Amino acid sequence: MKGYLPVTLAAATCLSMLTALYMVFVYVPTEVDQGIVQRIFYFHLPCAWVTFLAFGMVAIAGGLYLWLGHKIWDDLGYAAAELGMLFCTLVLVTGSIWAKPIWGIWWTWDSRLTTTFILWLIYGGYLLLRSFADDTEEIARFAAVLGIVGVVDVPIIIISVRLWRTIHPAVLLTRQGEHGLEDPRMVATLLVSLGAFTIMFVWLLWVRLATLRLRSRVATLRRDLAVLEAGAHL
Amino acid sequence: MEHLGYLFVAYSSIFVLIGLYVIFIGRRQVRLEREVGRLETALHDVEQAAGVPQPPAEDL
Amino acid sequence: MLEGFGAIVRKDLRLEVRSGESTVALVSLSLLILVVMVLAFGPGGARRAEVAAGALWIALIFAGTLGASRALMAERESGCIRGLLLSPVEPATIYAAKLAVALIFMAEAGVAVLVMLVLFFNLEFGGGLLRLIPVFLLGALGLSALCTLLATVSGRVRAGGMLLPVLVVPLFTPALIAGSKASAALLAGQSLGAVATWLKLLCAFDVLFVTAGYLLFEHVILED
Repeated sequence: MKGYLPVTLAAATCLSMLTALYMVFVYVPTEVDQGIVQRIFYFHLPCAWVTFLAFGMVAIAGGLYLWLGHKIWDDLGYAAAELGMLFCTLVLVTGSIWAKPIWGIWWTWDSRLTTTFILWLIYGGYLLLRSFADDTEEIARFAAVLGIVGVVDVPIIIISVRLWRTIHPAVLLTRQGEHGLEDPRMVATLLVSLGAFTIMFVWLLWVRLATLRLRSRVATLRRDLAVLEAGAHL
Repeated sequence: MEHLGYLFVAYSSIFVLIGLYVIFIGRRQVRLEREVGRLETALHDVEQAAGVPQPPAEDL
Repeated sequence: MLEGFGAIVRKDLRLEVRSGESTVALVSLSLLILVVMVLAFGPGGARRAEVAAGALWIALIFAGTLGASRALMAERESGCIRGLLLSPVEPATIYAAKLAVALIFMAEAGVAVLVMLVLFFNLEFGGGLLRLIPVFLLGALGLSALCTLLATVSGRVRAGGMLLPVLVVPLFTPALIAGSKASAALLAGQSLGAVATWLKLLCAFDVLFVTAGYLLFEHVILED
């Protein structure tokens, strides 16, 4: 049964993605103000959604690891953090590409992009930690704490950045047009996109988790081998 | 259709980045599976060898 | 609980009074940062208050991260973490004590920085500067909370000492925004009431992270 899951998830991902793409490029009408570039939104927002989903998962997995101690929670946290970074990068990249034709500049310090960038830095640090450190229990606990602290910080980052931006409205324009989805076809397309990305996230999570568990298995096997070899020499 | 280029680059970058990540995991997976196989065979060999009676300890 | 807290704080402060290492390091680093800021941005001009506020917070972050990690690492260097853990003091109390010590170190450096700010940026030794003190202390408290919780990374990981600022600074950004905005306003002559929103944000940040640190510290303080 287990062997079928990744294949099912992969198939579901392909299917939902193709549907979403169809809806984005064929079905949904073009937005009046921004033209066809606005269609970036239908994938940009789901990327942000997955980012928050992933980072939330890092914290929850961290909490569960600290509470229950089973390695799988640690692996889940690590996998979720990597995926979160991937999609966070995509939010920044697509956001930047969207900004250029609309406002003429590659980057604007508007509250949403700035918040996303700060998150990117926080979880970048998390991944740096993981890559520099060995796969020990201490590091796993530290990473869990870091993940929880990161998520705890998010609301206050959002508030402070928003306050910061209202005081200096100079360079930027607030992102109107994002939530002005007048046509119900736009809402439908967005929902399908969100669904497709969520399924893709689950699939990628599963796949990444599998490699992390393999890594743990390698470590266990190496340990057993070392013990046996030491015993054989006695 | 203005700004078509931007639209194209945006969507391509999404799929390219995700695709690269999937390739990265795929290669990790293959490498780890190979390692697991190697270790399991090695473990099996050592276990077999341990089953063989040990040579008598040297008299001091 | 209070006795344990007091004992650890007294011990660390006594160590510091004897050697003075951390204070010297903190003050020198702060001085250097301020010098660089003055040379890079110029001391005078219309935006003096903003640049001075920025310099203050940059000095706080970098010197503070350094100082706070030393507060915990003192034990690590002599292999005394086990002793600390074996004592009847709870990990959460150890956290509170380390937090207090880190805060004291930062406050020390802060005094030096404020004096240097006046000299370098031609500010007044007056009301604005005094009103800056609570803002600075609130920021230092939040920074101490984060640094004390995460300082154990310095010892455990390759390049851990460099990793600590990388981890702490992004987490600290809300306090940085609030603190530097409030500081700039205060140095430009405004009252504390005018920056009330920023102060509330700083307080919320502190409550959040001191609590988080207090609850989570036991998971990161492990013997080597």
